[in-house]
Amino acid sequence: MPRIEDIGAFNAVRETGLAKLTPSVPRIAIGMGTCGRGNGAEGLYHAFLEVIERSGTDFYLTNVGCFGACYQEPLVNVRVPGSPLLILHRIQANDAGRIVHDIATGTINPELVYCKIEEWDHITGSIRYGHGYPEVPLWNEVPFFKGQKKIVLRNCGLINPDDIEEYIAVGGYQALYKTLIDDKPESVIEQIKASKLRGRGGAGFLAGNKWEFLRKAVADQKFIICNADEGDPGAYMNRNEIESDPHSLLEGMIIGGYVMGASQGIVYVRAEYPLAVHRLNRAVEQAREYGLLGDNILGRGFNFDIQLVEGAGAFVCGEETALIASLEGEAGRPRPRPPFPAQKGLWGKPSNINNVETWYNIAPIITRGPAWFTETGSAKSSGTKVFSLVGKVHNSGLVEMPMGTPIKTFIYDIGGGGLDGRSIKAVQTGGPSGGCIPGEMFDTPVDYESLAQLGAIMGSGGMVVMDEDNCMVDVARYFVEFTNSESCGKCIPCRVGLNKFLRILNRITLGSGQMDQLERLDELSRYIRDCSLCGLGQTAPNPVLTTMRHFRQEFEDHIVSHRCVAGICAELALAPCENSCPLHMNIPRFLELYKEGRMEDAFESVIMDNPLPCSTGRVCQHPCGKRCRRQTIDDPVNMREVHRFIADQILLTDRFEDAARRVAARKLETTGRKIAVAGAGPAGLTAAFYLALLGHDVTVFDSLPEAGGMLRFALPEYRLPKPVLRREIELIERLGVKFILNTRVGFDISLNDLDEQFDAVCLAIGTWKESWVYLPGTELKGVLPALTFLEAVSKREAVNLGRKVVVIGGGNAAIDSARTALRLGASVTVAYRRERKDMPAIEEETLAAEEEGAKIVFLSAPHRIIGDAKGNVKALEVVHTRLGEYDRSGRRKPVLTDQVQLLDCDSVIVAVGETVDLDFAKASGLQIKDGSTIEVDHFTLETSRPHFFAGGDLVTGASNVSGAMGYGKQAARAIDRQLMDAERWELLFRPLHYGQTPPKEPSESGRHHSHAVPARERANSFDEVTFGLSPEETHEECCRCLRCDAAVEVSR
Amino acid sequence: MPQKKISLRIDGELVNAVEGQTILDATRASGKSIPTLCFLEGLSPVGACRLCMVEVSGIDRLFPACTTPAQDGMAVATTSARLSRYRRMTIELLLVERNHVCAVCVANGHCELQTMAYNMGITSVRFAYNFPRLPVDLTHPRFVLDHNRCILCTRCVRTCAEIEGAHVWEMISRGIHARIVPDLNQKWGDARTCTNCGKCVQACPTGALAEKGKAMEEMVRSTTAITSLAHRRGAAV
Repeated sequence: MPRIEDIGAFNAVRETGLAKLTPSVPRIAIGMGTCGRGNGAEGLYHAFLEVIERSGTDFYLTNVGCFGACYQEPLVNVRVPGSPLLILHRIQANDAGRIVHDIATGTINPELVYCKIEEWDHITGSIRYGHGYPEVPLWNEVPFFKGQKKIVLRNCGLINPDDIEEYIAVGGYQALYKTLIDDKPESVIEQIKASKLRGRGGAGFLAGNKWEFLRKAVADQKFIICNADEGDPGAYMNRNEIESDPHSLLEGMIIGGYVMGASQGIVYVRAEYPLAVHRLNRAVEQAREYGLLGDNILGRGFNFDIQLVEGAGAFVCGEETALIASLEGEAGRPRPRPPFPAQKGLWGKPSNINNVETWYNIAPIITRGPAWFTETGSAKSSGTKVFSLVGKVHNSGLVEMPMGTPIKTFIYDIGGGGLDGRSIKAVQTGGPSGGCIPGEMFDTPVDYESLAQLGAIMGSGGMVVMDEDNCMVDVARYFVEFTNSESCGKCIPCRVGLNKFLRILNRITLGSGQMDQLERLDELSRYIRDCSLCGLGQTAPNPVLTTMRHFRQEFEDHIVSHRCVAGICAELALAPCENSCPLHMNIPRFLELYKEGRMEDAFESVIMDNPLPCSTGRVCQHPCGKRCRRQTIDDPVNMREVHRFIADQILLTDRFEDAARRVAARKLETTGRKIAVAGAGPAGLTAAFYLALLGHDVTVFDSLPEAGGMLRFALPEYRLPKPVLRREIELIERLGVKFILNTRVGFDISLNDLDEQFDAVCLAIGTWKESWVYLPGTELKGVLPALTFLEAVSKREAVNLGRKVVVIGGGNAAIDSARTALRLGASVTVAYRRERKDMPAIEEETLAAEEEGAKIVFLSAPHRIIGDAKGNVKALEVVHTRLGEYDRSGRRKPVLTDQVQLLDCDSVIVAVGETVDLDFAKASGLQIKDGSTIEVDHFTLETSRPHFFAGGDLVTGASNVSGAMGYGKQAARAIDRQLMDAERWELLFRPLHYGQTPPKEPSESGRHHSHAVPARERANSFDEVTFGLSPEETHEECCRCLRCDAAVEVSR
Repeated sequence: MPQKKISLRIDGELVNAVEGQTILDATRASGKSIPTLCFLEGLSPVGACRLCMVEVSGIDRLFPACTTPAQDGMAVATTSARLSRYRRMTIELLLVERNHVCAVCVANGHCELQTMAYNMGITSVRFAYNFPRLPVDLTHPRFVLDHNRCILCTRCVRTCAEIEGAHVWEMISRGIHARIVPDLNQKWGDARTCTNCGKCVQACPTGALAEKGKAMEEMVRSTTAITSLAHRRGAAV
């Protein structure tokens, strides 16, 4: 091919390139970036080659880079002349034949098609592919691409990176041509300055100013350097840019060389990117061949060449002075600035260093002008930024968004939210130099200043999403481990400071941290940040500072209560199930004990961890299942049903007496201390159980006529038969716990009286006050709060609902009310303002309610209740909602529309949440938090009034049974510690030795579910609706456990 | 070309200097002092120990005095509560990093690290000692290299390269594992480039490099000899 020296030659090459991009035969292009190759794109290419050869038809088969949707790899572009370009996703080698056949016959398989492109703006040029395939979404209609603006990634995944002609076909090297013809370097610098382009490496220095420095520097030689030493964990934007479109980098650099008066360019690229190195070398050769690089570029007398240098993998070499040292053959250690590289850089000559992505923005700015560029982005940060969105997010890949886009758009709209519906805790930007931004701050726009305000940085563009399975202390430790091992060792703050940092964080994750070490970390952070020599050290404390600022509770949990909520720190969590259980039941232990046939021991394990196992076995929200690692194979172990079975076999049979004696035998010697528990609900009963075992004299007060609280009066009989609950309470009574019922604390007996008569008081009052919706019509006859309704039914009082009932709400109380109303013979509709997946109710319960005939209308917010002339409810008017922006809980906010619907009904049950009735706490000396709960110490549960402790819903607001019980347990331990001034907790438990051998192979059996009574039979009866597992099923279920807890040495 | 005269304020006092001088040069020329460890007059400054960090009014971040050029009109503070905290932290971290046992050290009483700690009133450290296992190189006929006492100031490296021109010393490894090594990580006795001149020993601020035969407290050295040699060889002031 002759060198290009005039516009005629340029156009000739362009025509050849266009003939490849939009050939007269079908074009098939395989996405062959590293991500595509990792997913088998090479095999795919050969499969297509074979199929095409066999078919005998004419196809143009080629390869392209990555289009950005890494989670859909391998991607294949297919285009039939005159039609849109189709992007097919998740293509396997055996799809090749089908695809080639489809193209030949003019059909498509909709399952394989991801999106289509009808025309594409390459910024430097555009391609019209054609219209068609109305059923296929356009590329920017796919959620992952919606809102993306591809300036940097303009060519990625669309052109063959190995072919300069395709690059020229989409307008490549035109900006260079224009620059050389115009011959006004100053005006180019003015344009770059006017575009407000900021360095994309992370620090955000204005590129135009940097260019001006070098242009003004006087020297016999100047260097242009591209920093492609992308080393942040989780970041791969630069790799993909080079792999998919190497010529854009060359063009940017050649323009830079011309404008700044340099004759030599260097690309410092990681050796870990072999494909990028290969493609870039290829591009350099081609550019030389076409007269675009080397001597006399485009025949305009300008000489500039580019050389590739492979970095040896030191992270610090991404720092510009260390990079220069590395280029000179020295160890990669930073040097003090000044002198800045623009004064004294490589080999002592003035040099310019810019990040890969900065260079990619040059040609577009020159082609379209700075005004066009500043249209995109925010006032101070113009243009777009490419992020690699990775981690615990549904859709991962490369995302190019205008600067200033809020974080939540990245996470929820583009990323599609958390994996398996898990809630997202934080996002980490900027790698080891950046920080963690908590979910509450996802409204923050992504630009240099806003991120810096939160203590994070934009960085080169890594965006790592973290969910509830990520421990923030471990995240901080991980990044410090990284920077500690990547520190060059030159300056003391970074070398020794980070090492101390890591040792302290290690100790915290091992559970041997001290609270004063948090102060020490803070002090070290400031020192390292302010005193380090280069950017690595100066920014290394960011991950620690931000996690300590936004997730301090997790640090304190690790130090004080030796708990890692995420279950990541191995020393602080037995197994994910145990860790997520509010009662911290040793689940693997009872599974193993049952498996070993030791029923009595299994029961002891269960009852000593959880005094109400029959109840929780039926109604627990089982957070353990969400964390169970068996999910990675099939479904979680049904731990709830196993402990239900074990407890039922003992407590509900004639083995009760024997079991009660055995539990009572664990009781410690009588201490003579008197403790009052206010509230006989799950929290109160649990506290009473443990306090009695610890040898205290416990009296439980409750305003209702029977003990059990919500378990007794709010949970319907069909979910939890009351005789079951009575048995559990009887066991607690056998320990010597006294119950004083029909006595409301704060009214029938004052807090001062309790204080006088008892050594300590545990407040465990439930959320018995229904939150009320303020709607017109709530005063009508037939409108009633869910709790009032459920309580009345459980007391067997007559409730007249009429024929049709509407329940407002989507929580457990709503579903319980619906199913109870069904059983009273009404037809039931539940109105919920969000979607099904947003419902807080247990999923199985919702499904069961629907089976029994309840109708649920989603996206319907109550508007007003309409009554008849006699003041009776006639109908509920609901307004339809649509899903708006994401709120802090990661759910979409319902937005009212003007569509209204009437739901005819005779009564309305309101179940929109419950709160604590705090009337008892007036003038009691108890500090109240946010007007709704009692303020307590996070670890001791002590209130602001001495000797008064509080736990359960009173502290958290409405939660669930096991959550409340967990607090009861924690309160009992704290009360005993304070009264006895000693840690006596462990004395309660007899060591139970059990097998520590994980199964060699996971058992093959699938998950066993409890057995539901057929909907038709159960819908009219208050009899229990599910039967537990059989002994065989229980055994199989125990065998399914993978034993994450097993204390075994792993042999390599 | 005559050097341009500039003036700046150092701790409030007006000080004259010439363009090209660093903040440290200007400060010391005016008779004041800023603590340093890696700096040695006559050698090129590297800004590694960060003890000489100073505050420049109007700018939030700190600057190393040894490498930051003095500028006309600049107002510098060489002491402040923050700077003292940070300098103390630096010394504490150095003390815990390796095994600095003054009582049995040849440089006891003549050690810059020890003097610095005395001057700052450091009687205890707030961090756990690292107690690393580090070798002592006794292979050289006249000198000893004891890594336990090295603070990685690289004065030996620069003395050898810039004054003797032998380039024996270099730093290997990264981060906390960094060490000073002769030649390509040879034993000092096997280092063929070493001219046995002993200048590195004179430049060492602690007991890391010492003459054989010296007992505790006996390693008295003269860094001024290095400086005057450097000036004789034409090093920029």
